Amino acid sequence: HILKRVDQKCITTNNKKKKTMIFLYDMHARKTVFQFSGHRNIETPKPENAVTVAVSSRVLFRTEREQKVFEQQGVEEYLRYQIEHENEPFAPGPAFPFVKALEAVNARLRELYPQSEELFDIVLVTYNHAHVGIRLINTINHHNLFIERFCMTGGSSPIGYLKAWQTNLYLSADANKVREALTEGIAAATMFMPEKMTEVSESQLRVAFDGDAVLFSDESERIFKAHGLDKFFEHEKENEDRLLDHGPLKGFLEALGKLQKKFYAKGQRLDCPIRTYLVTARSAASSGIRALKTLRAWGLEIDEALFLAGAPKGPMLEKIRPHIYFDDQMFHIEGAAEMGTIAAHVPYGIAQKHNSKHNTSAGK
Amino acid sequence: MVSTDQKTDVKEKEADCPVVVAVTSHAVFESGAEDPDGLYVGGIAFPLLQALQKVNERLLKENPAESLLFDVILITTESQQQQESSRITESIRHHGLKVSRFCFSNEEDFMENLLNNNVHLFLTTNRNEALQGSQKGVLSVLLDEHTASCPTEQLRVLFCGDAVVQSEAGPALASKQAAQSFSAQIGKMRGRFGPFDSPISIALVTSRGGRESCGDALRTLRSLGVNADEAYCLAGVPRGPIKRLLRPHFLLSECFSSN
Repeated sequence: HILKRVDQKCITTNNKKKKTMIFLYDMHARKTVFQFSGHRNIETPKPENAVTVAVSSRVLFRTEREQKVFEQQGVEEYLRYQIEHENEPFAPGPAFPFVKALEAVNARLRELYPQSEELFDIVLVTYNHAHVGIRLINTINHHNLFIERFCMTGGSSPIGYLKAWQTNLYLSADANKVREALTEGIAAATMFMPEKMTEVSESQLRVAFDGDAVLFSDESERIFKAHGLDKFFEHEKENEDRLLDHGPLKGFLEALGKLQKKFYAKGQRLDCPIRTYLVTARSAASSGIRALKTLRAWGLEIDEALFLAGAPKGPMLEKIRPHIYFDDQMFHIEGAAEMGTIAAHVPYGIAQKHNSKHNTSAGK
Repeated sequence: MVSTDQKTDVKEKEADCPVVVAVTSHAVFESGAEDPDGLYVGGIAFPLLQALQKVNERLLKENPAESLLFDVILITTESQQQQESSRITESIRHHGLKVSRFCFSNEEDFMENLLNNNVHLFLTTNRNEALQGSQKGVLSVLLDEHTASCPTEQLRVLFCGDAVVQSEAGPALASKQAAQSFSAQIGKMRGRFGPFDSPISIALVTSRGGRESCGDALRTLRSLGVNADEAYCLAGVPRGPIKRLLRPHFLLSECFSSN
């Protein structure tokens, strides 16, 4: 069926609704048909042009009560509960400030480049059954979020859809799903609801990354874990000029960098609404050099690099107040959350075998 | 010339409310192909029939007295196939397909048969036949090669929320009613099973509109008694990859046409 768009008319229906009638010529049946587009023009960018961020309903919103119903009373009761509370919007979850910040960047990008599709595109992904999806739509409306694309899979894996939509980042509450995404080459991280969420900027998106096993591969961490700190330093010095291999979040940093350059091109470097941070346990004078050289060789600029030489990351993150901080070690994630930083765990690399609160990564 | 054949070894279905599905022999069997025994080889609609059977089996398992079942009729639509009646019935039996009635009709009278048999859904691989069916107010679905690679263990129905409306009001209206009542039956069948491990899965896709149009489509389905399992709001993204992942047996869009 080849349908060619031939005309468009705006009409007002009997119940005062404004609708657009789009006339299409059906080349096979050789007749004109029409279609109603009753809602506002949806301007979503094509996946190949946009930076697609997929968030699950459990991290975008707070759904603890519903989770409890599911766990304690089973799926039928859970579905019934959701439908019963359909008109009650969910409260914001850990990914909410991040999504709001993405929208703020979009607003600035649209001002500078009105025709461009190089924007953030936020997609909602949920394992929920679709008929409880109405509550999610109501919630999106309530919070005035610009999310027009979503995926409600009724229990099956959304990974196929994430790939089809060229997803640049996937945020979920479920580590298994995140791991599945990472295996498929999609940058992904697990988010948790912190006890408290410190206030973050509403005008500047701030994204912070750990270095090893997040932006870079876990090769150096493997050395450290297997042979200790001295061997690690030795190895890094010997290999200072050899680039580190890339890690799962490198692509996302790259995507952020591309958007940053669009602001620089319009003379807005100082006022750029995107700021990136490297927060690493590496030391500035020694092991950190290799990290910086690698970033430079990749053509990636990072706005601030903080080499903590093993000092705790919590206080530094508290100063930065990122909308999201990516780290591969649960120890750091928990430390960050204690101070109110929104942290996301990247379950990648050697650290996953050692993940516990009592693990330290001193003085890298 | 029309002749019908009543299969008596198929379980007697009560007249109550079975869902009558008519499928053409073209769709069930691959044309021009024969196996070593001279019987027909399974075609495009084969997995679909197996899925319908699976649904019936599970419905009866839940409730042995269930009357809301699929009632499958095989219909021929051309004189050539009309002559092959015994080969057709043999092939059906050989492949273990459960067909309750055979309508050996031709181009001129197959429509009459559809109407006489109170068909709720007409499945064909022939575009003209589908058009004729729609014009007479029978919900007609055109199957294509994608149907051949669909699962046999689960019937997957895809509702398309953004519909294209035919400009002639008459047939469209009848077709819409047929689509709505069929959808309601499917919804009821789906309701016989829990959220997981169901032999029917219902998905909704809206292609062009945003979340509001998808929300509206979900509400429309709900008003028909259909609770969708999956929903995809594409907001302009091409539909191809999604269809490939969903693998629906057939698509329905008439429920949402706005007249």
